[in-house]
This record gives sequence, structure tokens and C-alpha cells, in this order.
Amino acid sequence: MKLRNLIACLMLGLVLLAPNFARQAEAQSVQVSMPKIKFTDRTLPNGMRVLSAVDNSSPTVAIQVWYHVGSKDDPAGRSGFAHLFEHIMFKATKNMKSEMMDRLTEDVGGFNNAFTNPDVTVYFEVVPSNYLETLLWAEADRLSGLTVDEPNFKSERSVVQEEFRQSYVAPPYGMLEYLIEQQSFTSHPYKRATIGSIEDLDAASLEDVRAFHKTYYRPDNATLVVAGDFDPKQLNAWIDKYLAPIPKPFAALPRVGIKEPERKAERRITHSAANVPLPAIAFTYLTPPERNADAEPLRIAATILAEGESSRLYRSLIYDQQVAQSADAVPDLREDAGLFYFQVVLAGGKKPEEGERALLAEIKKMQDAPVSAAELDKAKNQLVTNELRQRETSNGKALALGSAAVLLGDPNRVNTDLGKLQAVTAADVQRVMKKYFTDANRLVITYLPEPAKAAVGQNRVGGEDQ
Amino acid sequence: MKRFTLPNRSAIELLLVSAFVLAPVVINGQTPQATPPPPAQPRSVKFPQPVEKRLTNGLRVIVIERAGAPLVAGQFLVRNGAESDPIELAGLSNMVADLITKGTQKRSATEIAEAVEALGGSLDSSARWDSSRVGVNVISSKIGPALEILSDVVRRPTFKEDEIERLRQQTIDDLTVELGEPSAIAQYVASRVVFGDTPYGKPLSGTTESIRLINRNHIVQFHGRYYQPDNAILVLGGDIKPENAFRLAQQYFGDWERPRNVVPPVAAAKLDTSRGPRVIVVDKPDAGQAAVLVARAGITRRDADFFTGLVANSVLSGYSGRLNQEIRIKRGLSYGAGSTLDARRDVGPFSASAQTKNLSAALVADLLMKEVTRLSTEPVPDLEMVPRKAVVSGNFARNLETAAGLVSQVGSLALHGIQFEEINRYLGNVQSITAVDLQRFAAARLGAKETNIIIVGNAKEFLPELRKLYTQVEVIPVAELDLNTALLRKKQPTN
Repeated sequence: MKLRNLIACLMLGLVLLAPNFARQAEAQSVQVSMPKIKFTDRTLPNGMRVLSAVDNSSPTVAIQVWYHVGSKDDPAGRSGFAHLFEHIMFKATKNMKSEMMDRLTEDVGGFNNAFTNPDVTVYFEVVPSNYLETLLWAEADRLSGLTVDEPNFKSERSVVQEEFRQSYVAPPYGMLEYLIEQQSFTSHPYKRATIGSIEDLDAASLEDVRAFHKTYYRPDNATLVVAGDFDPKQLNAWIDKYLAPIPKPFAALPRVGIKEPERKAERRITHSAANVPLPAIAFTYLTPPERNADAEPLRIAATILAEGESSRLYRSLIYDQQVAQSADAVPDLREDAGLFYFQVVLAGGKKPEEGERALLAEIKKMQDAPVSAAELDKAKNQLVTNELRQRETSNGKALALGSAAVLLGDPNRVNTDLGKLQAVTAADVQRVMKKYFTDANRLVITYLPEPAKAAVGQNRVGGEDQ
Repeated sequence: MKRFTLPNRSAIELLLVSAFVLAPVVINGQTPQATPPPPAQPRSVKFPQPVEKRLTNGLRVIVIERAGAPLVAGQFLVRNGAESDPIELAGLSNMVADLITKGTQKRSATEIAEAVEALGGSLDSSARWDSSRVGVNVISSKIGPALEILSDVVRRPTFKEDEIERLRQQTIDDLTVELGEPSAIAQYVASRVVFGDTPYGKPLSGTTESIRLINRNHIVQFHGRYYQPDNAILVLGGDIKPENAFRLAQQYFGDWERPRNVVPPVAAAKLDTSRGPRVIVVDKPDAGQAAVLVARAGITRRDADFFTGLVANSVLSGYSGRLNQEIRIKRGLSYGAGSTLDARRDVGPFSASAQTKNLSAALVADLLMKEVTRLSTEPVPDLEMVPRKAVVSGNFARNLETAAGLVSQVGSLALHGIQFEEINRYLGNVQSITAVDLQRFAAARLGAKETNIIIVGNAKEFLPELRKLYTQVEVIPVAELDLNTALLRKKQPTN
């Protein structure tokens, strides 16, 4: 679950903002500029892109490798494979035993982790800066090939199945999130949830692992980001030594070409599940992808709707009407197509219809009148401050750089997107609300507790046994 | 989204610890080389020094300046939290903390949220066991206005009846949602089992029943008694000069009068030793996965063996800790297994846990118990001590990389009356722990004999296996679970 939060943050943070607080109403307000991230950008002859940003304030360094492959690239009949593969990347390689990455990071006081989303798979390490060369060697080694065996593969597959249960089956609203992912798209491979299914995971084999590595884990599909304490000259020399020699394959990189068709009419799904403490509803809408200019106004709309206790949904649904226990608005804008969804858990005793009416009314208000100048400024401040917090650490800076380069196609956007955000007007917000939040573009999911089983006693086990 | 992040594996930085694993052989001129290049010379770390002043009304103000991002984190700590809730009013301190941001003499709930969110921040108020706290985190230029709002909410909340009723309903809904999660139920049951009907035994945010009993008088009384300048600490850290911080503290808190009455001392939390270790199954037939937890009493924050405890916990917990090695890495039984040594003002809990498919719950319980036991029966080899100490040191240093992390660490030291020098002695303290210390500590303080087992899941899938391991198993159907008492069962007239 922690990791899922990370993904959400990443998605929300994809627009890297810089600051301009000058227009704050308060007299005491001083303009603070978000420090620019100064970086170098180099592409090796084998196609690997290398971004680096020096910061010697603490003796640590963050190393990330972004592979431009995600769950939308899962092989047919293998939903969840890109993510399973990510786990396998911590197993044996030609020169490393299983879990050796942990020996090189955790054992020296650092850490490593990775995440997979629909579009990318990202591996990262934070270590004492004197271990930088060691980690560049290790990343080069696992990009060069895996030698994982059958028992390790199967064991890790079981771990991923437990992750599926822990993230989607045990938590009360896990399956609702799964449905949002799975039901929002009809044609594009985004219709497969990143975590996949137990059956498809069971079908995955070592042969699939070899083929997937060969197809997608290649230098011209990778971006290395190094941020923190290092000497740029030395970094370049190490990159030349460890990463530049990895050959670029001749085969073309496969890319998803399927377009998601426009929605023509509202669709409604009702799902009943065990363990639903309070009913919930979700609305999902298709929007343009994250590189589109409407991404900024959409993010501002989501912030005005649902960020904090002064947001519109909190004030209306939770505070005034007390119809909801929680209310979220999530701009899950992706590479090929965007998704914007709302998730509302009802307050005790309230019906899904009441939540639906209240949510629709708030969406309509955003369409009927422009948001106030104060709301707009507040949302910008919230987004900028969140971004500043993300960039407090080297790992956070590297995430910002990596997303700009890989997902937005230009690392400079790490410093320039702020201007775009600051330029968003109330009219822009109103325009995107009208354009995308239409009845025909809506999927409604109603999530209900299963009707109580007739014979409760059947489920009881034993009794007291003392 | 993938590799499990355990709670104590959060942020990092790094240290002087040299790695034992790296073979120093470098094969030149060959790529890729077969062995990793060895590390270079490490750089040393220096942590910023806190400075402090006491205002004439008794408020302790602590500042840690650290250049870097233009952010300031602030934390206002009251020295009383859930431990001070009357036994039958579980959740009182947490309701008070929530309610202070829901209206003051000057602002309504909505106006408070608008004011602080316009600054790009939020007021995060909550109760912990040892404290009640309000945190802010804003860009440096907004810290003045943020402190004005913070001072308003801690000093002049109005506790209007309609806000109390609204929060009561919200809290009950939140509990309903939370108790849908097997792991949350397991944690609450564990507290009752280890601490019985004493303060740490109750759920921190209350139960549906206790929340219904709390009235405005209780709330006003709790606030009046504990939210006082001589019972509080203000910590500010990040991009702020001490003189500026002290001036702001004086401006917004200086005219707060010290009360005539002395804050009463906290009654010590006690352990429940009346029942001996228990094996409890909460049968939740709709659970798609079981939560398995073993728990016992641990240590206090001021325990002389605190650092030994940290290292012992690190041997068990963290990605490459023994629990995750045995349960996830070797056997694929869970997304992650770990342990927590929660050192509080009084003796807090030690627990180890994992979630697994229902069928393997008994096996996972057995593995958790075996690893806890092994800590006291065998010395930890050096080859394992060195990296596990590096993990503790690395986590500590990394947590100090953000303004919020710095403030939280310093606030915790201040709350427990520990000298700030501990920050700079921390790495040395960790390094000085030996395998002998660790085994002695584990035998005396983390023995498996006093450890309870709690499993929440679909019992019919694991009960037969569990009964082969333990003869006395208490099975409680989830519908009959009562968290208000150490008995854990609702009174049933017929059964």
C-alpha cells in the first residue's frame, strides 16, 4: 500500500512546478522562487539517456533507472507481468546473486526500491555517496541480463500474489480501486490493472522473463538519473566504463498503438463484495494524456475539488451535507490517454444515490461558474508546496527529473512547467470541466456490501477451545 | 509499486559504516567486470544543532536551522496524549486534537482550513500515546501567518456542540472502515492482550461505544488541563533563523498566560500480566488474507537499553531482516514481514507481523515466533550485526534530510526529556552494541514465552494447523469482538 501511495504522488506530481508566490493576497507574502534543478543531459551512443544533478549538501546520492515499459506493455494473457518482472530484477544476474542489490544498498545504510505503473518501471537506490560507482556497476549488470532460476521465479511470483491480496483483497476498498483501473478503458491495454490477476500471474514462465528483458530492457529504452553528492567528471568516466559498452539491439522497440475510443454514453456498473463496511461510488472520465496542455487545469481542478478541508468536496459532501466519509478526486493522467476519477465512500446510513447527486452537483458548479481567484491561488500554492516537499531529497529530485524526461518527453519541463501552472486561469478550469466532465464520458461504479448470508452460523468456526 | 516498504525503511542517508560485503577485487579493462568496484572513502556527516529558549510562560521553543529547500516545518507538542484519556473515554485526546481546528473565537472550521490551505500547507493535528500535536509544513515566507493560525487553534478553540456531533459521526464511520482491515483488527486486539484494561490497552482513537460517551465537558476539561504553555513544546526547523523563530514564538505565544494549576502527572501505563500469553484467533470469514501478529511488552523510550533494542529490532525487521528473509524472500509467503519496537513514555509494545493467504497463517505465526525466539537463544553473527547496524544508522540520518523529519526527531527527544547531544552520539551508540548485549537484551526483554499470538482471518482455513502447534486457542467470531475490554468478547446472554 505504501508503494501505491508513491505511485499516486508521482502521478499527481508529474507536473513539476516552480514557484511564484507573488500574487498571494497577503501583504507579508514574499516571492519565493523554487530553486531550479540544474542538470546535465547526455545521450550515450547506445541510446541511453543520462541526467544528473549535483547537490553536495548531504553525503548521499540517489540513482534511478527509468525503463520506458509499464503494464500497458504486458504480453497477451500475462496481465501483471511488467510488475512481476520488476520483482525479478532483484534476483540473480550473471555477476550478482539474488538480493545482492540489498547487500550493496541496505547493508551499507542505504535503501533500494522500485515501482511499476501503466507506462514506466523505475528502479532506485539511495546510498552513501562513496558507493556510487558500485551501484552504477550493479545497474549495468542487471541491464545486461538476468540468470534467475525456476525456484526463485516461483517464489517471487507468490510474493506478488500476496501483494495482490494485501493491496486489493484485504483492504475494504481495494477491489473498487481495481475496478476503476480495469473498467475505465475498453480497448487500450490500460484496461488491464497493473497488478494483473492471480491466474495470469500463474501462467507466467521463465521464458516470458527472458523475452521481456530482451524486448524492453535495453539501453535505448532506459534513462539513468543521478542526483546528490558526486563529482560530474568522475560520474561521466564511470558511465563510460559501465553503461556505454552495453550494446544497443537492432530490433525495433514495440510500442502500443491502440487508441482508446471516445465514450458515447454513460455506463454504469454495480459490484457487490464481501467486506465493504460502507457503500461507495466512483465516477471515471477519460481526459487527454499528461503531455496535453489541459493537464495543468485538470490538476488545478482536482486540487480545488478535493485537496484539504477547504476543498469543495470536503466542504460540501463531508462537512455540510455529511453524506460522505471520504471524497477524492484523482487526475491519473497517463502517457497515451488520461483518466480522471472520483471516489466517494458514503457516511453511515447514506445511500449511493445521495452521494451521486451531491457529487454531480459539485461537478456542475465547477462547470456553471468560474472558480474564485482565492481558490485558484490556493490550489497553485498547494501544488507548488507539495512539489517543493518532494524535492527536499535527492531521490525526490531524481523522480522529478525522470518523470519530466521520460513521461513528458523533455527534462527541461522540470523547471518550466511551473510557468504553465501559474498561467492557468479560472476560465481554463471552467473550460476543462465543461469539456471532459460530460454525462456521455462518465463511468459510474456503485460498490456495495454483499447481501448478508442467510446462515451466519455456517461461517462460524469451532467455538471457544480452552 | 513493488517491493514492500516497511514502516521503518523510510528515508535514508548514510554513513561511516564500511560494507563488509564488497570484495575489493577489481578486474581492469574488462566490461562488465565480474565483481563490484569497492567503495571510495566515505564523507562524514554533521547534523544541525538545535537551540532553545523558554518563554516566561514556560513554553519551550526549539529551533533547528538547516539551509536547503525553502521550507519550514513546525510542531506544537502537548505533553499529554491518549495515555491520559480516562479509561472509559478512549479516543478523548484524539477528539480534542481534531476539534481544535474546527473553530476558534476568531475563525470557523471552514475559515481555519481556508486560511492555512491558502498558505499551501495544512494543520495536521492528532493525539499519540505520549502527546497531542499540531504540525505545519509551509514555504519559509509563510511561517509567520501559519504560526498565527496554529496559536489561535491551540489557545482559543470553542468546541461548539455541532462540531462535536459532526466529528463523532465521522469518527464512528472512520472506525467502521478501519475495522474492515484484518491488520487493523489484529493491532487493536494485540493492545488489549498486552496491556489489558490499562491505558495503552484501549484503541487510541476510541471505539464506537466510547466515542458516544464523550461530551463537551470532557473535551473542554482535557483541553484546559493539558493545552497549557508550561506543558508544551514548540519546535521549528528548516529554512529559518533562530532569532526569527524566537521572535515569532514570542509574538504568537508570549502573551499566553501560565495557568495557576500544575498539570497533573500521567498515571503510569501498566502491563496486563494476569492472563499469561494468549493465542487468539478473530474469525473473519470474508477476509481475503489473514493478518498474523505476535506481540508482547517492549521498552520505554528512556530505557538504558534503547539502542540495543533498536539494533535487535533491526536484526528482525527491515527488508533484509530475519522476518522478511524467512517469510518473504525464502518462502514467498507474504509481501512483507517486519517488527516494531514502539518505545513510549511507559513500556510500549513489541510486535512482529505479516499478512499471508489464510491457508498459510499458522505457518507464518510459527515462523514469526521462531525468529523472535532465536534472537535470545543464539548470538547474532558479526556478518549480520554490521549491516543491520548500518540500517539503523542510515534510517536515522535519512530521516533528518527533510525539515519535517528533523522537527519530528528533535520533538521526540524534547518530549522524553533526552539531551539533544543524543543526535550526534546516535551513530556511536548504535556502533557500540555487541552481539552479547543483544542476546542478553533479547532474552530478558523480548522472550517468546511472554509473547502472544493474534491472527485475524478466515479461521477454518488455518485453525486445524494452528491447533497442532498450540493447544489453547481462543476463537472469537468477529461479530462478537469487543475492543472495550481485555475480555475481547461481547457479553452474550445465550451462547
